[in-house]
Amino acid sequence: MPISKDTLRAMIRDFHGFELSDSELDIIEPELNNYLAEVEKLRELDLSNVMSGRLLKVDEGGNFDG
Amino acid sequence: MANEDLLKLTITELAPRIRAGEVSPVELTEAALARAERLQPQLNSFITILHEQARSQAREQEAAIARGEYLGPLQGIPIGIKDNLATAGILTTLGTKVLSDYVPDEDAEVVRRCKQAGAIIIGKENLEEFAAGATSNNPFYGAVHNPWDLDHVPGGSSGGGAANVASGITFASLGTDLGGSVRLPGTFCGVVGLKQTFGRVSQRGLLVTSFNGDHIGPMTRSVSDSALVLQAIAGYDSLDPSTIPVPVPDYSAVLGQNLAGLKIGVPSNYYFEQLDEEVEETVRRGIAALQELGVTIREVSIPSMEYAGALNIAPMADRIVTHEPYIDANREAYGPDTLYRTLAGQFVLGRDYSKSMKVQRIIKEEHARILTEVDFLVTPTSPVPAPRIDAPYINMEGSDHRVRGPGSSLISRNTSPMNATGLPAISVPCGFTESGLPIGIQFIGSPFDEAGLFSVAQGYEAISPSAGRWPAIAD
Repeated sequence: MPISKDTLRAMIRDFHGFELSDSELDIIEPELNNYLAEVEKLRELDLSNVMSGRLLKVDEGGNFDG
Repeated sequence: MANEDLLKLTITELAPRIRAGEVSPVELTEAALARAERLQPQLNSFITILHEQARSQAREQEAAIARGEYLGPLQGIPIGIKDNLATAGILTTLGTKVLSDYVPDEDAEVVRRCKQAGAIIIGKENLEEFAAGATSNNPFYGAVHNPWDLDHVPGGSSGGGAANVASGITFASLGTDLGGSVRLPGTFCGVVGLKQTFGRVSQRGLLVTSFNGDHIGPMTRSVSDSALVLQAIAGYDSLDPSTIPVPVPDYSAVLGQNLAGLKIGVPSNYYFEQLDEEVEETVRRGIAALQELGVTIREVSIPSMEYAGALNIAPMADRIVTHEPYIDANREAYGPDTLYRTLAGQFVLGRDYSKSMKVQRIIKEEHARILTEVDFLVTPTSPVPAPRIDAPYINMEGSDHRVRGPGSSLISRNTSPMNATGLPAISVPCGFTESGLPIGIQFIGSPFDEAGLFSVAQGYEAISPSAGRWPAIAD
């Protein structure tokens, strides 16, 4: 799913208040392409039932060094 | 022993001699400062060298030891601090022109703990701009050079610290690791780099960072020194909600144990893909050497790593938020690599951010499951040895991979997943390429089992072909 340069340019202008040239957008492109490739890989992965959780469980008992 | 020779000892070797009054922290600090000055034209590893503060701290610690006030093994030891960690009253630039005159009011918690342990801070170390990359080729403060070959990068983003430890300028450096920024410089410079469990060490005072997996960790010349530094900086911080109130064990007490009977998993997918040939051969020799120590090596599969690239999506979005206070008003002050890589985060959709976090969860669960079947995992730390400073690309299996800036992700491929899982990981030197560049092996452990990780890493370190070797620049 490529994103058009006009869309990218408008987002930067509207959210950040400055214009990016075509050559600047070309520099960003590899990062964007990596992102879009990973999103594409996830397309068929069912993530609807993945539970949340920031940390792995640890034994929080006992004393600790503050 | 001449003071210059003392700089080649480890903290573990030096600490008893400092305690006994046989080694003067003042003389040791002078030697470290002299070497720092002598090597700056080649390494460019510091942004600020703290001559007078270091001398003053050294005099204080020497007097305290003479009074019998011994604080522990870091007392009187010269160390360096990465320049994205706050130091009260001292310039803290984050490697950016945007903050080139920023002086914090308070020390980062880890800096406070190091000072409390009596360490001597001799300088603030050069890094990638905003700590956002793996080369330490800084557009404003200049490129840091690898002590093993000055034409190559030292790794990043904590490159100055690793170069200093490898060159015998400092005995330890505190770096920060958001995608491998302690372990990669450790690998490229041939020193030990630790990223402990997320939540083990306070991040308070780590500036302009992501909440998605940044860690402050030590780079040292030995595993036992890594244990000593972690001992000093680990522990709950009531002012940092990311820290977990779990006990901090005596890490040094577990060192020197026999590794026979341990089970170590070698991933059959992902971590051994896209590897430089010399790196793969060297790491596999290291694994074979572990077997000779009585370790059981078992191949393990981690299918969810097929989606590991998605772990980069959340940090990509975080980056634009992190830079929000600076980027719009200071666009011209940014280097192009950081500017354009950061701006790409603007395009991440909320849907994909959420997916990235869910993939993170799946990968965490799978690593946790595998670590119930084996004691540790072992991987190459970096898929490649240190690239040349002037190399824009690394060619791997016929494809060009960018070394820095937008689209660069190859170098941190094997390290960044542990920033997402939060699991502890340590990089230990395991040999050299034919051209003399260091290679590192990474051990990954269970949550909060840094003690176990130190034990296996030290067992390997003792038989590593890197043992006892120094870069010529350190002579």
